[in-house]
Amino acid sequence: MLEVRIDCMHEACPIPLLKALKKLNKMNIGDVLIMETDHSCSITNVIDWAKKQGHEVDYAEISDGEWEIYIEKRQ
Amino acid sequence: MASSKIEELKRKRQLKNKRKKNQVIYGGVLIFIGIIIYILLLKNNFLYSVIWIIGLLIGFTLQKSRFCFTASFRDPIMVGSSSVLKAVIIAFIISTIGFAFIQYNAIGGNTAIGYENIPGKIAPLGIHTAIGAILFGIGMVIAGGCASGTLMRIGEGFALQMVVLSGFIMGTVLGGYHFEFWDRFFISRSKAIYIPEYLGLPLTVTLQIIALCILYYVVDIYQTKNNMMSI
Repeated sequence: MLEVRIDCMHEACPIPLLKALKKLNKMNIGDVLIMETDHSCSITNVIDWAKKQGHEVDYAEISDGEWEIYIEKRQ
Repeated sequence: MASSKIEELKRKRQLKNKRKKNQVIYGGVLIFIGIIIYILLLKNNFLYSVIWIIGLLIGFTLQKSRFCFTASFRDPIMVGSSSVLKAVIIAFIISTIGFAFIQYNAIGGNTAIGYENIPGKIAPLGIHTAIGAILFGIGMVIAGGCASGTLMRIGEGFALQMVVLSGFIMGTVLGGYHFEFWDRFFISRSKAIYIPEYLGLPLTVTLQIIALCILYYVVDIYQTKNNMMSI
């Protein structure tokens, strides 16, 4: 299993989503993408999108106003 | 339910978490300042004190619900998820009913009292509306927030939006500066349309709610069928 980390700090919607999309395209099934963001909008935006695509997804607040979103590629 | 891999990563991450700063004191100070402003407004201007409380509540709701007008119009097209757009449509239905009561009280069955006396901004509709809407739509997607979303995220500590706010202020000032041009060539030549004048308030409100319900179902069908930007 591969872990890929992308840094989306200080970037507004929809840039984090586009970055995640590009990275996920290059990854294999079963790999996990870890996305760091401080944009609260990304939580709904990216998670909605990932769920709709059928990936496993979850997030955690790692510091005040900073989140990590975990996406496991499923297809 | 997240997969075991993600659970594992989250657990590892939680172990090396830096301890979060205790923000209870900051919160207490802010609530105190808020109450002082409320009392000052209450003494000087009752209307402002009401607006102050409503504003605080709206800001709190926006932040906690991660509600974003920009996302509501962008995500259906970009991501194919329209839960926020549906929330906006429901908000429109509720405010339609609310405005119906407010306007009914104000006009009392007589729609000829003049547009400026009817609550709610009834402005002339024309090409300037379309130009403004397109400019605003492009701007808010690039900036990552409309007016309320930008202010809410500044409060949240998202620094990029401070740049957006300064742009917002510049744009508003420039807009005010050449408002006369738009007024002379477009706005004063267009006609304001107030549908209750032709159909009566009850029928208009019913039609608007039906139209919004139809929109809601169209969006709902779109969400289940659409799968844009799939990998």
